[in-house]
Amino acid sequence: MAAPSTILRRLRPISARGNLLARTYHSYDHPPPPGPFSTTESTILSASLPHIPSHGFTLTSLSLGAKDAGYIDASTNLFPQGPFALVHYHLLTQRLGLAQKKEVLEADEGIGAKVKKLTWERLMGNKEIVHRWQEALALMAQPSNVPTSLKELAAQSDEIWFLSGDISVDTSWYTKRASLSTIYAATELFMTTDKSPDYIDTREFLDRRFKDVQFVGGVVGSVSQWVGFTASAGLNVLRSKGVRV
Amino acid sequence: MATRTAFRPLVRAARPQLQSAQVHRCFTSTSQRAESPSQSTNHERTTHFGFETVAEAEKEARVAGVFSNVAASYDTMNDFMSLGIHRLWKDHFVRSINPGSSSTSPSPGWTMLDIAGGTGDIAFRLLDHCTNINNSPQSTITISDINPSMLSEGKKRSLATSYANSPRINWLVANAENLETIESDSIDLYTVAFGIRNFTNKEKALREAYRVLKPGGVFACLEFSGVTNPLFDAVYKRWSFGAIPLIGQLVAGDRASYQYLVESIEKFPKQEEFRDMIKEAGFVVPGKGWEDLTGGIAAIHKGIKPAGTP
Ligand SMILES: C[S@@+](CC[C@H](N)C(=O)[O-])C[C@H]1O[C@@H](n2cnc3c(N)ncnc32)[C@H](O)[C@@H]1O
Repeated sequence: MAAPSTILRRLRPISARGNLLARTYHSYDHPPPPGPFSTTESTILSASLPHIPSHGFTLTSLSLGAKDAGYIDASTNLFPQGPFALVHYHLLTQRLGLAQKKEVLEADEGIGAKVKKLTWERLMGNKEIVHRWQEALALMAQPSNVPTSLKELAAQSDEIWFLSGDISVDTSWYTKRASLSTIYAATELFMTTDKSPDYIDTREFLDRRFKDVQFVGGVVGSVSQWVGFTASAGLNVLRSKGVRV
Repeated sequence: MATRTAFRPLVRAARPQLQSAQVHRCFTSTSQRAESPSQSTNHERTTHFGFETVAEAEKEARVAGVFSNVAASYDTMNDFMSLGIHRLWKDHFVRSINPGSSSTSPSPGWTMLDIAGGTGDIAFRLLDHCTNINNSPQSTITISDINPSMLSEGKKRSLATSYANSPRINWLVANAENLETIESDSIDLYTVAFGIRNFTNKEKALREAYRVLKPGGVFACLEFSGVTNPLFDAVYKRWSFGAIPLIGQLVAGDRASYQYLVESIEKFPKQEEFRDMIKEAGFVVPGKGWEDLTGGIAAIHKGIKPAGTP
């Protein structure tokens, strides 16, 4: 892994580079990162996560977490972005958790297979809170939160490609990232309504999406397709919330 | 454009007060004393009074003087300085704090302390939010100010609200730098709006805030700050330094007090510096530590007292 990451550091665009450094530093031998959250914030947020299944991505979960961590209701002032902090924290911890999926990472398989498996692992990271995920999507669709949400989605795709051993530095990097983001976002949305045992329907949905685009070697998908999809998915979520748009 | 619209109603409001300038001047006797030549000797600690450097003890007297002078017309002053929008800032300030919120219902209520609470402007808003938004009529507030005449103005105004003689309000004359009658670790929320720049020893006031707050409690400050856009800054400075003392003279017959107000704002530490002072006192700050309002004319700073540390 060390060799490709050196090449990448030299060749990838600046924006990807910052990410990569963070990744090489945090993902392997070191404890979880400061990331965008301070120690105090992380303490409260991680104490809030267990409350999400019953109280959702809400201020109540945040308050309950604060109390569990020895804080008080007023301490939620630490989060000017409100309950979106919970969404962001969930996205961040799930993304960083991918590097711990040793069974997948160490398997003797091709890049494409690993990408699929990691994507599936990531989706399963939503299992506990999937009945609340539409709340999270609605928060992510709020204009002030959109940049962070999109950045997280892109960073997650980068992470998955990187961990799978992809070292391409040509323009296909952008399309790969965009295609994976599209597939992930679509499947994630599908999963929120999936009632099948062990999410087999979601699994099949994901497989079909991967078949739609032949990743390895070929240039597939397009950024505009992805942006279009994200926008319409967001609209549908809003409509499902009763917003007239 | 904004200045002009803010200016017009104020000038109109100012006119009838011209006749009462005489009355206001009688008030100034306190500050007359304070403005007598400084007897500061070399070993006395000094501080800023606007752009003048004065002995600390004297500043306290002078600040008290300024606010006695302008107690009655200080709303007008806030209107001038904020281009007429300090009420919106105050609403936003309170909404951003979300006082009275709770994970349990009914809410056990927040114990709040509004420092430099003068006229109760912030306190009434905090209580309203607790009651109407968070269904927390158990929340209470202590309104504190160094100046008894500001507090009596506040009491008078409270009679016109639903909090007339309410047991939810407690009035306290105290210097923010020494809140000895308030127990340590007893307060959920400490607010100070347009007050801290007048404190002689801001670090000491911050340490007191830290002491009285519960672990996890919130320090929240609304104050004039540094305009971030240089062009807007230049325009705003011309307005505040050029026009406001003059208007002060016309409205209250008291140029010196208004000159002080303008200068004290300019002297107050800028956003980053004040954020660092808050951290220095032991608080953790959310995000970058502050939120600019109207291009930085004012800013909201917050700090949370960490739990689990003595
Ligand atoms: C401009 S008024 C602000 C009133 C109110 N908080 C508001 O926003 O409308 C400033 C107040 O700070 C008070 N003050 C000045 N120095 C103080 C000190 N050291 N301790 C407590 N209050 C002080 C003054 O008496 C005055 O009432």
